[in-house]
Amino acid sequence: MLQFIASSHFNLSGLILCPLLGSIILFVIPDSRIQLIRSIGLCTSLITFLYSLFFWIEFDNSTAKFQFVESIQWLPYSNINFYIGIDGISLFFVVLTTFLIPICILVGWSSIKSYKKEYMIAFLICESLMIAVSCMLDLLLFYVFFESVLIPMFIIIGIWGSRQRKIQAAYQFFLYTLLGSVFMLLAILFIFFQTGTTDLRVLLTTEFSERRQILLWIAFFASFSVKVPMVPVHIWLPEAHVEAPTAGSVILAGIPLKLGTYGFLRFSIPMFPEATFFFIPFICTLSVIAIIYTSLTTVRQIDLKKMIAYSSVAHMNFVTIGMFSLNIQGIEGSILLMLSHGLVSSALFLCVGALYERHKTRLVKYYGGLVSTMPIFCTIFLFFTLANMSLPGSSSFVGEFLILVGAFQRNSLVATLAALGMILGAAYSLWLYNRVVFGNFKPNFLTKFSDLNRREVLIFLPLIVGVIWMGVYPEVFLECMHTSVSNLVQHGKFD
Amino acid sequence: MFDHDFLALFPEILLINATIILLIYGVVFSTSERYDYPPLACNVGWLGLPSISITISLVATGAPVANLFYNNLIIDDFTYFCQIFLLLSTASTILMCLDYFKQESLNAFEFIVLILPSICSMLFMISAYDLIAMYLAIELQSLCFYVIAAFKRDSEFSTEAGLKYFILGAFSSGILLFGCSMIYGFTGVTNFEELAKIFTGYEITLFGAQSSGIFMGILFIAVGFLFKITAVPFHMWAPDVYEGSPTLVTAFFSIAPKIAILANMLRVFIYSFYDPTWQQLFFFCSIASMILGALAAMAQNKVKRLLAYSSIGHVGYLPIGFSCGTIEGIQSLLIAISIYVSMTINVFVVVLALRKNRFKYVADLGALAKTNPILAITLSITTFSYAGIPPLAGFCSKFYLFFAALGCGAYSLAFTGIVTSVISCFYYIRFVKIMYFDTPETWIIYKPMDREKSLLLAITLFFIISFFLYPSPLFLVTHEMALSLCL
Repeated sequence: MLQFIASSHFNLSGLILCPLLGSIILFVIPDSRIQLIRSIGLCTSLITFLYSLFFWIEFDNSTAKFQFVESIQWLPYSNINFYIGIDGISLFFVVLTTFLIPICILVGWSSIKSYKKEYMIAFLICESLMIAVSCMLDLLLFYVFFESVLIPMFIIIGIWGSRQRKIQAAYQFFLYTLLGSVFMLLAILFIFFQTGTTDLRVLLTTEFSERRQILLWIAFFASFSVKVPMVPVHIWLPEAHVEAPTAGSVILAGIPLKLGTYGFLRFSIPMFPEATFFFIPFICTLSVIAIIYTSLTTVRQIDLKKMIAYSSVAHMNFVTIGMFSLNIQGIEGSILLMLSHGLVSSALFLCVGALYERHKTRLVKYYGGLVSTMPIFCTIFLFFTLANMSLPGSSSFVGEFLILVGAFQRNSLVATLAALGMILGAAYSLWLYNRVVFGNFKPNFLTKFSDLNRREVLIFLPLIVGVIWMGVYPEVFLECMHTSVSNLVQHGKFD
Repeated sequence: MFDHDFLALFPEILLINATIILLIYGVVFSTSERYDYPPLACNVGWLGLPSISITISLVATGAPVANLFYNNLIIDDFTYFCQIFLLLSTASTILMCLDYFKQESLNAFEFIVLILPSICSMLFMISAYDLIAMYLAIELQSLCFYVIAAFKRDSEFSTEAGLKYFILGAFSSGILLFGCSMIYGFTGVTNFEELAKIFTGYEITLFGAQSSGIFMGILFIAVGFLFKITAVPFHMWAPDVYEGSPTLVTAFFSIAPKIAILANMLRVFIYSFYDPTWQQLFFFCSIASMILGALAAMAQNKVKRLLAYSSIGHVGYLPIGFSCGTIEGIQSLLIAISIYVSMTINVFVVVLALRKNRFKYVADLGALAKTNPILAITLSITTFSYAGIPPLAGFCSKFYLFFAALGCGAYSLAFTGIVTSVISCFYYIRFVKIMYFDTPETWIIYKPMDREKSLLLAITLFFIISFFLYPSPLFLVTHEMALSLCL
């Protein structure tokens, strides 16, 4: 019965339209009816989440083809269509997006004081754009949605950010990302001009000359490396994360950060296999530098959010190492680490958000001894701190382990250096936890003693479940992506 | 022969008659003692509007392909769509300034009476098929504009703007005329079709023995045109005129003439002088305009000056499509101009709607998100679209322009265009920053806007947002236009 419903009535464009529809309904509801606005927002996002689960249930593990494919003509005289579909690689990005949005909406339930309606609308629009990015199989339209996430994110950071520096952060986020991605636009137009289409099906079978591949790869890299973020262009990330509101950080760490790595996986690697091979040392060097450098930077941060932001940079560079080891373990590990990072780092941002909401500061030195006033919070925080340093049993461990296994097969030096990151990760995570939770309570600074309320615990619950599930039984996730990933590896003849 | 020709000129004839009737009506009744000397600007405006809409329907119904008056004028698909487009945008300009007359209590019905013949001359410009016809049409249009720019006589800015516009406009017309006479002197013909025959396969080089005169002629014509569309080395009048003239005049200047002049340029350069020589000139102007538009607008605090520089920047994007000379190039140019016009209408509606103690500085937008949230959302969407952020209409125009540029091998143009579009984002998102992020000390409460403006705003905003979803009609229309121009 369930399967019948899923197969007959559910299609991807419906999933994209669902949050959009919700936001349009919200538009016409007056500002004053805040309770209604909240519940509609939450309901829409929950329905979208359930909707996306159907795709997971209905997903056929045995094929590497794109599933739930739809194609709608967009431009006449050129083969640009709304061509959407998902495969094992993009399936979980869709699910992760829909999973995180209800959390974001719940986070802003009572803490958002201004522009409440716009808050809901921004997040719902953001959601539908991000789902569209993950299932778009047309290069140009992928770019369109990839970029268009900028507008809601810019507004989210700028309006609901906490301090005056937010404007600079929003600008940095906007301009860095835009500057990177316009080069991708040039590359896409160039490809379009060369082949006459931007359809991924065709492009995957097109052979570009090696010289051209290298140029195109660099242009794509310019865009994706900003989003990942690779080392010279990672500066926007700590700024944007620190100034964003809690839900903004959650979404930023959850999805847009993954778009870069997703782009590598979806476009750079299969379309330009020779160039990818050529650039492995380059990527590995950058990633190793990023892992060690940002991990060391994390140790000396005094701002809670900045620490987590820098640790995100380190983790995402782990992901790139795994991805560019170009074997099945590495790539699967990197996808798994992306998912896990989407859960863990979002949860850590939620933790910091909960602290900030109570004490209005994020500087480490004002905190201490929270264990005596906020025991529940400290337990949850411990759980996610351990997950962040990839304790065995948590989801990150599986990901990082697979990445290291993959990387060792490619290059043992890189793997060794990357493994250093794990040690440093433990160092800063424990240091942070120690400073915030243990030690003397500082009553001069901290005047509120309320622990997490029911709503907040409820927010953390699905994240905890996800982390443990993925850490204990990763097979559920791996089996969906296995065929697609091996197809990817074989397609590029990387073995 | 004559009945056929006049039949084809029905729209223009109607417009001229309407102008005369409205003029007589205005003059007689505004000086009538019996009605206590009524201010007639609104009445004339409301009467001008239906005359334009009847013109639109006349243009739309009768579209035979024809050459008129001994080949002086031409009517084909290209002129057909251009004229409709021009009339539509002019109608919306008139619509948006109706309220202005009431608010400012301007007793100047001659504004509308001057707009009508200028539209008529622009219709002639679009369909001009001869150098002399083209020049005459341009002059008639410019003369109307000089008067309009200075029509607020008690404002020093307006007078100065009118004067500047007049001097530079007359100068550029002189250059254009000199170019035309050079061409005539060296070829002996002025008709575009004859010129096209001469120029087919004609290598124009600067140092070629017989052709240096022709080269100079083309150069002068191009410079004259570039003056008119405010491309960069010849842009110096634009910011002053934009700022000085009354806002509705600025709106009119930045919308209607651009369409007409570009249509005219396409006809002259693509059809008659089809040759790579002039392309380099447009290459240069295009790059210079993009760079100057992006950099100079960054330092502006006044809204209209900022919009002037932004229009200079956008004018820089248009010659990208132009300098390729391919079908895609022309098509992309036409798409870009139509999207640009709709965005400009949108922005100027907002600027006109915000008029309490004269909305002058960008900083006056502060707290608009609180006092007028819908207007704030509209303005931010439009500025994002100006900046070319997907999935808005502005992105589609830029994407197709760059595609055309890459298609004809103009990599440097595409590269510069992309970099400057990122730079220009910096000042476009400043609007959003001021409206949403800043908390100003003084909140300016603006009057609510009238129905006509809100209607216009809604239509253009809908176009900007939803263009991405269904771009086929515009693509097909522009494709047809480009084909009819080239083939």
